[in-house]
Amino acid sequence: MDKTIALMLVLTILVVLPTVQLVFAAGTDAHEYVNRKIEIWNLFFKMMTIAFTVGAVVSGTLIWLVWRFRESNPNAKPTKYEGTDW
Amino acid sequence: MVLELQKPRPIWQIMFSTHHTDVGLLYTITSIAFFFMGGALALGIRAELFLPGTQIISDSMTFNRMFTVHGTAMIFLFLLPFASGVGNYFVPIMVRYKDMAYPKLNAVAFWMIPPAGALIWLGFADFTWYATPPYSAIRAPGPAADMWIFAQKILGVSSVLGAINFIVTILKCKHPDLPLSKVPLLAWSFLSASLIIIVAVPTFAAALVMLLTDRLGVSGFFDPAKGGDPIAYQHLFWFTFHPEVYVLVIPAIGMMYEIIPRFSRKPIFSQSSGIFAFVMLSIVSFSSWAHHMYATGMSFTEKTVFMIGTLAAVPASGMHVFNFIATMWGGRIKFATPMMWAVGGIALFFSAGAGGVANAAMPFDFITHDSYWVVGHFHLFVMGTIAFGSIGFLYYMFPYITGRMYNETWGKIHFIMSFAGTVMVFFTQHVLGLYGMPRRVYDYQPYPEYIVMNQIASVGAMIIGVSMVIWLINMIYSAGKGKEANMDDPWGLGGKYYFPYQAKNPHH
Amino acid sequence: MSGHSNWPEWIYVGVIIVLLAYVGAEAWNVERLVEHVPAEAEVIKVIGQQWFWTFEHADGTKEVGELHVKKGHAYKFEITTKDVNHAFNIHDYVVLQDAVAGRVNEVWFAPDKAGEFPIQCREYCGLLHYNMRGTLIVEE
Ligand code: HEM
Ligand SMILES: [Cu+2]
Ligand SMILES: [Cu+2]
Repeated sequence: MDKTIALMLVLTILVVLPTVQLVFAAGTDAHEYVNRKIEIWNLFFKMMTIAFTVGAVVSGTLIWLVWRFRESNPNAKPTKYEGTDW
Repeated sequence: MVLELQKPRPIWQIMFSTHHTDVGLLYTITSIAFFFMGGALALGIRAELFLPGTQIISDSMTFNRMFTVHGTAMIFLFLLPFASGVGNYFVPIMVRYKDMAYPKLNAVAFWMIPPAGALIWLGFADFTWYATPPYSAIRAPGPAADMWIFAQKILGVSSVLGAINFIVTILKCKHPDLPLSKVPLLAWSFLSASLIIIVAVPTFAAALVMLLTDRLGVSGFFDPAKGGDPIAYQHLFWFTFHPEVYVLVIPAIGMMYEIIPRFSRKPIFSQSSGIFAFVMLSIVSFSSWAHHMYATGMSFTEKTVFMIGTLAAVPASGMHVFNFIATMWGGRIKFATPMMWAVGGIALFFSAGAGGVANAAMPFDFITHDSYWVVGHFHLFVMGTIAFGSIGFLYYMFPYITGRMYNETWGKIHFIMSFAGTVMVFFTQHVLGLYGMPRRVYDYQPYPEYIVMNQIASVGAMIIGVSMVIWLINMIYSAGKGKEANMDDPWGLGGKYYFPYQAKNPHH
Repeated sequence: MSGHSNWPEWIYVGVIIVLLAYVGAEAWNVERLVEHVPAEAEVIKVIGQQWFWTFEHADGTKEVGELHVKKGHAYKFEITTKDVNHAFNIHDYVVLQDAVAGRVNEVWFAPDKAGEFPIQCREYCGLLHYNMRGTLIVEE
């Protein structure tokens, strides 16, 4: 449990600090206008990178589960609950 | 539990009954009827959009009325009553009580739905299911608009009465030997959803009255010329209807919590995390309503608050997915029809959620707001997750309702067609939105990308339509002529899995 | 519950929260950037009504259905409506803002490509909502 919390802390810092830096570094160069089209579509592509990565993991897991634990799989064995009153 | 349709009772005996399984049956049949009616409108919409220009619907007003009634019917006359039907069947049995806490109130709540449905369908309003003023107050043609308002009023009362009944049944009538922490997650889902209803629905109820008096010209709550504010309506509306989306999805998740362990032959991975996630969802469902209003001119601060509030709902939804996956892990899974719908629903639930996170990111709204992206996104929930869970659950209840089995092969064909169709329609609609196609439009510019994607979506919709007809025939035929179910274990999972449902509450 | 440990679930929830924090921070930052209107942006009044758009430039000239602007200049739209709500949308430039009765809503952009771009209404506004279109013409 403690380890998990430590891990989370490290991860959070790794993400938050660079973002904060980015925020305060930007906007100094006043001459070029911000291109909203590029900024917003970039955000979209970043989000889709995350979504499709996580999606690959989740649906990969789901497909593997379905394949591995279907009752017709040769490796399928009865669960310890079968025939009991759970 | 078994209704013994083999020994038919006269129809009026079911109609005037207050027994929970009879009311449950009425809810279920009514909701399915409206599902088919609303679905027919969807197919009409998709046929019209197959090509640019006018196809089968001669004017845009008719088209606008069609998507309005489609949306209203699907949410209020299909999803909500269907959930109530399931709750009526299962909640009393799961808390080991003889009936709902207030059986007469229960029947009254059901009987408010048919007249409301009639008002919606006979009026055929055009102001979308949001009914946003000023349009709804000053331009939307009556009497359709007024009939819609009255119908919503009735449905709101029905919903609150039903919610009170579920809450009292679970908290007060539960068997003393049964601690709340052991109440099955399906019943917990009704407790959470009902609590949301009680808190959320009143603001829309108020907004409806104001809208009606605005329409009558005696007030100007939403009219800037009279000192009102149309944005106020949107806040009242979304304060009800953002939480309401959780009212829809939570029982569907509860249904999956019932199906997945049964067919995995394993108990739920973690009952406590399921309960925790339900309670979390019912709380955070109230922290995000204005994410629907980013484009109305909200300040940066407001947008930020509602973005964070929206993202806050994600971990709890993710916990449910985790719980499903962990339950299936190490099981011996039988892919009978209900299980296929549940697992397909989980996959689409994830996609819908990922799209939701993107929607929450406020700048992204400049691309997607009120575009087809939104239509694709929320249909992954309403169709992909909630309707899938519900349809799977109806297959699951079928032997208990009728004493007979549905046809398994056709059930699987139904699932595969619907799944493929759903992916075709609603994933394509996301892309259409990215290309800029607005929602609620009768026609679109003849860009080649628009045409191709609209055609993919329309073909997908027809596939869903055909599969639903297969379903209907399967249900009707099997209810009368299907082979008799082995009531101890309809799916051959090994006898004792079904013990909670052997219980039968005598008719009174 | 029932004796097993839940640490995989906590890690999973942790990862979700980290990802959400990242998306939230990025979104916050982009919103901050695109909301900052440059001081020299020229005001264009946009008036929506069933079912067409009227534009009024800073020098008082009016256009209906068409909007002429210059490449490389910044413009601030002040959006209103004469009747019901609409939404002013130039999808190619990711410009979108509701026209709400009784309010003036703002959004700005600086076109970086010359050409013609569709303008459309993105908020349901009745009978001819689907056809409430216009054209943005960006000149060199
Ligand atoms: C056969 C499956 C379905 C198809 C092909 C379909 C198709 C459509 C289409 C084409 C629209 C119009 C979108 C627009 O112009 O903005 C729409 C709107 C809508 N649909 Fe569906 N739909 C289906 C199932 C459902 C289900 C199961 C639900 C809910 C339970 C639902 C709820 C809605 C809602 C709330 C709207 C919005 C109506 C409005 O704009 O006011 N749909 N649907
Ligand atoms: Cu919402
Ligand atoms: Cu419009």
